[in-house]
Parts: sequence; structure tokens; C-alpha cells
Amino acid sequence: MLDRILEFSDLLRRNGLRVSVPENMDAASALELVGVGERGVFRSALRAALVKQASDAKTFDELFDLFFLGLGGKAREMEEELMRQLGMTPAEFQEMLEAMEKFLENLDGEISALTRALLTGDLGEVERLLRQAAEAERGENPGLRVLFFAQGIGDRIGMEGIRAEIENLKALLGRGGAPPELIEKMAQYAEQRMRNLMQLVRELARRESDQKDPARSDRERQDYLSQKSFVYYTEDDIRKMNEVVVRLARRFKNRLSLRRKRGRRGRLDVSATFRKNLQYGGVPFRIKLDRRKKEKPEVVVLCDISDSVLNASRFMLQFVYSVQDLYSKVRSFVFVSDIGEVTKLFEDHEIHQAVEKALRGDVIDVYSHSNFGRAFELFYRHHWTAITPKTTVLVIGDGRNNYNRANDWVLREIRRKAKQLVWLNPESRMTWGYGDSEMPRYAQHCNTVEECRNIHQLYRLIDRIAA
Amino acid sequence: MFQSVDDVVARLAGERYICSRDVATVVYLACAMRKPILVEGPAGVGKTELGKVIAGALKLDLIRLQCYEGLDEAKALYEWEYAKQLLYTQVLKDKIGEVLEGAKGLRQAVERIAQEDDVFFSDRFLLPRPLLRALLAPEPIVLLIDEIDKSDTEFEAFLLEVLSDFQVSVPELGTLKAKHVPLVVLTSNNSREISDALKRRCLHLYIDFPDVGREMEIIRLKVPGADEKLAGEVVELLHRLRKLDLKKRPSISESLDWVKALTLLNVKNLDDGLVTETLSTVMKYEADVRKAQEELKEYLAVRKAKTAHSAPASDKDLLN
Repeated sequence: MLDRILEFSDLLRRNGLRVSVPENMDAASALELVGVGERGVFRSALRAALVKQASDAKTFDELFDLFFLGLGGKAREMEEELMRQLGMTPAEFQEMLEAMEKFLENLDGEISALTRALLTGDLGEVERLLRQAAEAERGENPGLRVLFFAQGIGDRIGMEGIRAEIENLKALLGRGGAPPELIEKMAQYAEQRMRNLMQLVRELARRESDQKDPARSDRERQDYLSQKSFVYYTEDDIRKMNEVVVRLARRFKNRLSLRRKRGRRGRLDVSATFRKNLQYGGVPFRIKLDRRKKEKPEVVVLCDISDSVLNASRFMLQFVYSVQDLYSKVRSFVFVSDIGEVTKLFEDHEIHQAVEKALRGDVIDVYSHSNFGRAFELFYRHHWTAITPKTTVLVIGDGRNNYNRANDWVLREIRRKAKQLVWLNPESRMTWGYGDSEMPRYAQHCNTVEECRNIHQLYRLIDRIAA
Repeated sequence: MFQSVDDVVARLAGERYICSRDVATVVYLACAMRKPILVEGPAGVGKTELGKVIAGALKLDLIRLQCYEGLDEAKALYEWEYAKQLLYTQVLKDKIGEVLEGAKGLRQAVERIAQEDDVFFSDRFLLPRPLLRALLAPEPIVLLIDEIDKSDTEFEAFLLEVLSDFQVSVPELGTLKAKHVPLVVLTSNNSREISDALKRRCLHLYIDFPDVGREMEIIRLKVPGADEKLAGEVVELLHRLRKLDLKKRPSISESLDWVKALTLLNVKNLDDGLVTETLSTVMKYEADVRKAQEELKEYLAVRKAKTAHSAPASDKDLLN
């Protein structure tokens, strides 16, 4: 059983669940206690030991069925379906099976094991034989697609031979001297069984391929996406990426709050200790430490939302707001040529909706040409109070100014007043300064200028800024 | 301790707590493997209650630690009783004088005092908080750590030592080890992600809203006088309400409240005007109440159509 558990947790791992060694041990000792007799209990025990996240429970259930139940469920379903089709009660059905068995015995040795098992309703045996075939096929031709795989299994068990045998049997049925209705039913039954067999083979092939890794393609895609440049995102990518951003944000949050807390305990504050202990006659009963204040940075985001950098801005905004409780305050502005504040949108709406609203042009005209200079100047005139010595200013944009006035003096002022100024550019560093890009001029005023073309880079950056 | 999964079901039922085999399995395993249980799930499905009834079923004492932001070791584990220590030094001034009598120089005086200092840092001046009480309890107990997600991550990290080794170190006294391993139940509303390290040390249990049958069972148990047909309709409606996008989804305790209220008001049928008026027992937000009213109307319309179609059959459906 231990082997099976290890194999299973390996399967879980391949599907993105985290299972550690002690958890495997827990699972093993849990099974020792409850046994494997009752499926529900068995499943609960495994789940309690192996799955620690409610959102993973669904994946666990699916994989559990795939891994432990095998074809049993499907085969039983077929049995019932068959009974219904033939219009028989379970008792009658049983009777017919017995008749079939007797008939096959009298036939002595002319039919294959699989046909016999199939016709006498020995589904366990059928599954065993099918699995054998599947394994052999997998061994020789790994990586087959479902359809070909099913074909391969079919060839191996000699599907054609079985078909011939069953046709043959149908012809022979009449000789047994059974009543004609029963013969009719048995013929129908054999026919149906043949069809069932094909279904089972297909099902087995599908499951085997699923089990290899149902979600792998999904996962690979997410990894690949986090390296893919924002510019090339499709609608579908965006939807997928939203989940990734949420996950990243959560991980990031956990790490950061831990990091902050570690450095919290301060040194002995002598004067405060004395003051506090005057009531005890100066005997230091109560120690005062100068607790380092939790310094949560204030963040002001200036986000270019012209077409060229739209996707980068989208995730940037989403990310900043997903982790906003790490900051004491977040204010965000979007600009193309005008500039507008969207902070309120995020207060009133759920992150997703707010991002979409902010990008859609509810606040500013999104169809004009980018003009960083103008936007900066407007920011200086109307929103300057947003900047305080505690503020970290994040500018997101490609710095392509359409040959307008750069107005980089605004950035110089920001740098002078704010704690730090960070510029994230979704363009490749190689292209900065070419054409209408004003990056070199803007860059000289920033504390940090970084290329931020994909989620991976975004994550690393945020990590640094917040620290 | 529990003998088997069925034993858990039976004994929890004895405490008037109806649970699925899923829940019972985890409880049984936790008792047998001496592992903490981490219970998650939506508000109001009986997570905290589970901890209490386990204690009740096993006839053990329950020590409860309610977590909140800012909870630290001093409040959860132990504290020195400074005031008492101070008082004792004052009262014992003469005695201390005696000890110090004849001491030559400061050094000797300090040394003499130092010989006595374990008097002041002994159990007598130690104020045990829930965790330490749980560890030092002379009998096995159930420790309920409620809403662990409300505590800070650092407290969670500190819990790791307690929960894996069942011991704590008090610098002045050394390491205190549990006499009996307590049965620990942690609950979480998932307002924050619990760290992997803590999760690894626990058995995980997710309790969701019960299915219709189980919820009926619960109502039958907790509201004995309730009209069977009415209760069935209420449960069915609530299951529909839980699927809506609500600010707060109605929990089991709310469905109990509602059935109780309707029973008291002697309502026999959901199309009674009183039903709409009592919706506020289930819904806690104005917007939710409006949504619920619409859903109620729709539900009644559907039911009417069904009853018109085949009266006895629908009755039977509701009972199931």
C-alpha cells in the first residue's frame, strides 16, 4: 500500500499540489488506522493528510478517482445500462449470466480468456486484462495520443478476434436448445458486451493519458506565460495570467510580512525605561524597547495606459492593489496625454473591475497620443500633494513621448521630495533612447530604472521595492 | 478516546452535533495519531463547535485560545507576575535584610541574593496563559485555537514549536514539556493564508455547508417542534440562496434561527407574508435581503408550478 500512496502523492505533485515527506508518512499511518475497506473514509483520510488547501480538494478528488477507482465505476454503470436495455431485473439478468456461463462451459476451450470474462460479467478480470495490454502498449510506444493508444490496446487484446468469436457464439447459441426468447436476449447481450468492451478500451486509454498529467499543459502554459512579454498577450493569456498574479501576490505578501516582523524587536530604550520605572523607585521592572516602527511605504503609481503598454499596466495595477495592505497608502494615476486619479475606483470596486474601468477610458481619454511631458506637468500642477517624503513613486511606461517636450524637471522634483522614484519600462532595454524614446533623459532622475517585460521580472521588482 | 469512525459519529451525535463521515474520519485520525486538526470552511458551519463537542464527547476539559491581531506570547503562553514579585520583595524586606546581614561589600551581597533568585522565578510567580495551561494540565485536554488566521504570522511561527513538540521553553525555568499531548483543534476562516509549515503539521479538514439531508437532520435535532414540511422548504430555499452572490451567505446557525422564528410565529408555509418580514434573521445586509426576496419569489413560483403539476410527488421531494 505504501507504494501506491507514494505513487499517488507523486501524481499529486505533478499536478501542482505540494506534498511533503512527513505528509506521506501521515497518510500511511492514517491508512493503518482506518484501513481501506470503506471508500469514503479512505478518501477522507488521504485528503486530510495530503491536501492542506481547500482549493486543491477538487484536483485531489479527480485524481483520486482516476488513480484508485480504475474502471470499476464505468464498468458498473455499463452493467446497469445493459440491464435496462434488455429490460431485465437484476435477478433475471443473473439467471441469464448463469445460462451464458453454462453455455460457454459446454463449448470447451475454444474461446479466449477475455471473451469469457466479458460474457460472464467478470469485470474485474476484464479490467486486469485490459490494463495488461495498456501497460505493454505504453512500454513499447510511449507518448501515443489517446486515439492511437486505444487502437494499440485494441490490437493487443485482439479486438478483431474477439469480435469474430462473439459472432461465432451467436450462431452457436441456437444449438443449446434454450428457449428462443432467452437465445434472443443472449445474442443481444453478447452484441452489447462487445460494444462495452470498445468503450472500456477507449475509457482506459483516456484515463491513462489523463493520469499521465491532466493539468500539465495548463501549468506549463502558466510558466511560459510568466516569461512571455506582455506585448504579445492574447485575451486568453490575460485571463490565465490574472490567476497567476493573484497567486504571486499572495506568496509575496506572506514572505514580506515575515521579513518585516523579523526585524521588529528593537534595542533597550534607556530613557524610556527609566521614566517608566520611576513608579517602582527606579528599579527597572519594566523594560522599554524602542520598537522599530513598522514602516509601510506609501506608493504613488503613475501608469501609462496607451496601447503599447496596456498589458503591462494592467498587471502592474493589479499586482500593486493585490498587495496593497502592505503599504500604508496607494494612490494611482493613469495617463496618456491627460492624467487622472483612479484611486477611488479601487476603493469602490473589486480589483478586477477597477483595473478594467481604469484602462477603459472612464477617467481620461485613452485614444490620444502619449505625451509624457504633458502628463508630468499636469501631475505637478494638480496632484503634487500626493508626494511626501515617505512616498515611493512608481512610473510605468515606455517613455515614448512622440517628440513632445520631455519636461523631465518634474521627475527631478519628485526625486527631490519623494523617498524613491522607480521607473518600470515594459520595453526591452536595447531600444531605450531610440526613436522618440526619452528614456535616457528620464532615467537620470530615477533611483531605479528597470526593464519589466514579463510577470517574472515584475515579481522580482516589486519584491525589491517593497523591502 | 474514540474507537472507530462510527464511534465518532455516534458520540458526536450524543453531543447533538451531526457530522459527515468525512469529518468523523479526520477527528478519529487526529485522536489516534495525536495530530492537530486544522479546520477550514465558511463562517457558521460549526468549526468552533466541533472543537467543543469533541471535548464534550471525550469528557475532557476544553481550553480555548481566541486569536486576534497582536496576540503575542505573553498573552498566549505565560507572563511573570511582576506586581506580585514586587509585593513579595516589599513584604520580605526584613527577611532579605537578614540574608544580607554581614555581607561584606556589594559583590557578596549580590551573590547572596543571586542564590535566592530562583525563589522569584518559580511557578509561584508564573501566570500561565491558555497554551501553557494546556501543556501543563494534569489530565488530557482539548485545546481549541480559534481563528488562527486572525493572528500574526510570527505567532503562527511560534505555535510551530508548541504544536510539533508539545513543549515550550521559558528562559528562567527551562523547557516545559506537556504531561499529556493535548488534542488540538485549530480553526481558520481563511482571511489569510496559513503557512505551509503549520499546515504540514496538521491534518486538514474542510467543512462546507451540509447537503439538504444533513441540514434537515440538524434542524430536526435543534428545533424539535419545527414543521417538517416548512423546514424542508426553508432548507431548499437556503441552498439556493447560498449559490447567490451575497455579501454574507446564510450559515447553519442562521437557518436554525429562521426555522425557530417561523415555528414560533406559527408559520406553516413559505408564501406567508411573515416569511418576507423574517428574512432579516437570515440576511445581515440590506442588499442581501433584497436579493433574497427576489429569490424567494422565484422559488415560490417554481414550487407552485410543480405542485400544480403533481401535488403528492412534490411533497415527497421536499421531504427528501
